[in-house]
Amino acid sequence: MSPGRPSPSAAPVPVRVDKALELLPDLEVVAPLRALLVSISRPDERALWSSSGPYLTLGKRGVQPEELARRMPEAFHQVTEHLQVLYRAYVQALEAQQRGDGGEVVAALLRAGHAEERVGRPLQAQSWYEAAQRASQVLQDRRPEVESLGALGQVSLALREYAEGARHFQRSLALAESEFDQAGAIAACEGLGEAALWQGQWSGAQAWFARGLRLAEASGERRFLGRLERQLGVLARRQGDLAAAGEHIRKAREWLEGTAAADEMARVLSAQGHLEAQLRRHAAASAAYREALAWVQRAPRDPGLELSIRLSLAELQLETGRLLEAEEEMRRAEQLAIASNLTSRLVQVYTLMGKLRGRQQDETGFVFFEQAIDLCHMLERSPAAEAQVYLEYGLFQERLHHRDEARAYLERARELFGTVGEMVARERAEEALQKLSA
Amino acid sequence: MKAPLSMESSALPAHSRKGDSSRVRILVAAGEENDGVVQSLRQWAEDAALHVEGAPDLPRAVRKLTAERWDLVVAVLSQRADEDLAWWVDALRGATGAPRLIAATDNPSMGLVLRAESLGVLDLLTLPLRKDDFLGALARVRSAAVEVPVPLPPVEHHAVGQYALVGQSPTMLEVYKLMARVGPSAATVLIQGESGTGKEVVARAIHLDGPHSAAPFVAVNCAAIPENLLESELFGHEKGAFTGAVTRKIGRFEHAVGGTLFLDEVADMSLALQAKILRAIQEREIERVGGGEPIPVEVRLIAATNRDLKEAIAQGRFREDLYYRLAVVTIRLPTLAERGDDLVRLTAYFVRQFAERYGKRIQAMSDRALDLLRNHAWVGNVRELRNVLERAVIVATGDVLRAEHLPDEFRGEEATLGDRPQGALLTLAELEARHISRVLAHTNGQIGAAAEILGIHRNTLTRKMKEYGL
Repeated sequence: MSPGRPSPSAAPVPVRVDKALELLPDLEVVAPLRALLVSISRPDERALWSSSGPYLTLGKRGVQPEELARRMPEAFHQVTEHLQVLYRAYVQALEAQQRGDGGEVVAALLRAGHAEERVGRPLQAQSWYEAAQRASQVLQDRRPEVESLGALGQVSLALREYAEGARHFQRSLALAESEFDQAGAIAACEGLGEAALWQGQWSGAQAWFARGLRLAEASGERRFLGRLERQLGVLARRQGDLAAAGEHIRKAREWLEGTAAADEMARVLSAQGHLEAQLRRHAAASAAYREALAWVQRAPRDPGLELSIRLSLAELQLETGRLLEAEEEMRRAEQLAIASNLTSRLVQVYTLMGKLRGRQQDETGFVFFEQAIDLCHMLERSPAAEAQVYLEYGLFQERLHHRDEARAYLERARELFGTVGEMVARERAEEALQKLSA
Repeated sequence: MKAPLSMESSALPAHSRKGDSSRVRILVAAGEENDGVVQSLRQWAEDAALHVEGAPDLPRAVRKLTAERWDLVVAVLSQRADEDLAWWVDALRGATGAPRLIAATDNPSMGLVLRAESLGVLDLLTLPLRKDDFLGALARVRSAAVEVPVPLPPVEHHAVGQYALVGQSPTMLEVYKLMARVGPSAATVLIQGESGTGKEVVARAIHLDGPHSAAPFVAVNCAAIPENLLESELFGHEKGAFTGAVTRKIGRFEHAVGGTLFLDEVADMSLALQAKILRAIQEREIERVGGGEPIPVEVRLIAATNRDLKEAIAQGRFREDLYYRLAVVTIRLPTLAERGDDLVRLTAYFVRQFAERYGKRIQAMSDRALDLLRNHAWVGNVRELRNVLERAVIVATGDVLRAEHLPDEFRGEEATLGDRPQGALLTLAELEARHISRVLAHTNGQIGAAAEILGIHRNTLTRKMKEYGL
């Protein structure tokens, strides 16, 4: 037998990503190398149409050492550029310190933190913000501290440290109000609402968003108004008040239509998509997500936002039984995550792919959950993300009537959600466990 | 410059092909800075029986596309023309009425033209638009031969669970004969064939024709499961045998007792695991990971691979002793290209199957769509055909599956010398660039696979891609 054509190209067999990552120690200094390795990985061409093709995950993609070597100067350039931004910000902070300009010291340190966040390093950003906050505490003008605390609150939310985030926003709000810093106060209220939302404290979230909205109405700032209406819409939807959710989202859209905030429009449309999906108006939901994607195209590049919308679209297609389209959308999201150095978001992508296989009663779908768990351990170390995988893994096993395994995974999810304070998700795990016992 | 692009001959959707009186609905997506494009088209609209509407930005264009039915979209590309092109092709895929795309740019390049062609874009025009160019493109749409519906032929098939064996080609008849011979025995079988040729379906059919058809058929895809999990998947594990072994697990060997264990993509197994499989075959017993007790397992083994196992043995990647244990009887499956008219039978079978699944009433396929299927190089064989037809059935709206329902790259493949306006024959370089572009589209941009199809070294291909701006 002669499978395939003769191979004059005879390129060396690529090294599999899982093997390549095994050889790379867990050191911060090689993190950019890890990111480059992942971003240039490609699926094994021979596997694309093979029966293992549908189960392809990051670990089974391949990487050519020669290509890695070739792309190194580009990576070095990016690393150097990033370091330059950080070092320059630090020197600027020192210069400001020398001339006694405390506000600029804080601003420079915050710039460094924002630069870290832009390249997906929230933990490092947190350190810069902490330094900024310490520097701001001695200043007479409290606005730099409001800003530092706001930044700390935001990064805590990104790291899913909700209680910590709420603490920063509380302090930020108190200071902002005493300084009549309306923008700072609105941002703090929004942050507090978001932290409460994630922890399932609906009335708390409602109160904070409403307070932020009142402040925003006084300021007349359309972007803030749009954002807070959207947040209220999301909250109302989670509480099951779909009519109110629709009204808030409509208002959010109205506020934002006239602004140039394409990213905010995308978020509103994405929220509208979720609402339509909950109302089982699937065509309208799909249209809202597609319109959101069009806005993303016009906004400053934000692959994280695009990825979220694509996953929402895929989930919608999954729910409506359009499995082929769902899988295609998931693969697009996977490619986007890999190419944009959003490897930690692959956890979500693979969890959803596993869910898809569960719908098809395909036992081999467990490979996606295993890959997602590997990624949680390897890249993100976020118990909340891991808990989410275990929850879906448990539901997958339940679908396949593997009750013992389902129970073990659901219990693990419940435990992890409990430790990070994600009470809504913990309740979902609890409900699934009760259903299993019934 | 009028870009020397494809003369895509797709007919417009049926509702706009009711004679000259029917107005073609055109949506023009041009930013406010390109308002002149909308104005020009509106001026030409009366002469050409067009209904023209403008959308000042992308989101509003998407909204209009969702809300109404359009025949044609004229999209003015931004400086990121390549990305815009891909985005538009993607966006139109889900749009009502499957509108065709004409792209317009003020900065055309050969690379962009070829990319547009490979994506199945109707035409790429240069800004400012010239009436003759636009009406020429429109005329090609209107004068395209109406696709003739060909009724789907009746197909006999041999049901294999939720799958089926379809085909009457001589190559498949040879396969059936061999299957009939090995089925009733309990012999171990090795099935070889390229990806997507139907190895698992054949394995299932052999099991169902065998003496233990009532017993389980358990399939394991050795390439899909990570190496560190494959052993426990095959042999099972005891609780606590390793981190993550949260419960005792019965492996696939045990699940298959009394029936058939199908080891798909067996060449992808590590040498260590090959040794354990060999032991299980020889001794007819296994041990769970973390367990000390041997467990007797009486199973029929069917293995499959898309690799050349003899070459793998020569390279030291596959155990020779295991090969001879597995290849008691070897069945080689033909590629789709080797199956002649089975393509039409498989097409009819899949279209009916998916039409039923998705609640469509598709009775026929157009002659042009069938030609496109016949001319495609099916690297993924029957699996690829099935995938293409499932997608086509999903997007089809009427009772005929047309060329427009096939993936865009299929229509890109259709561009030929004959499509060129008179006196505009291709240069050798253009022809080469087009062919490379088509092959790259076919392999989803995979350079290695494209180089293999073209029969050149990947470095040569990379150089040519750079040269032609692909």
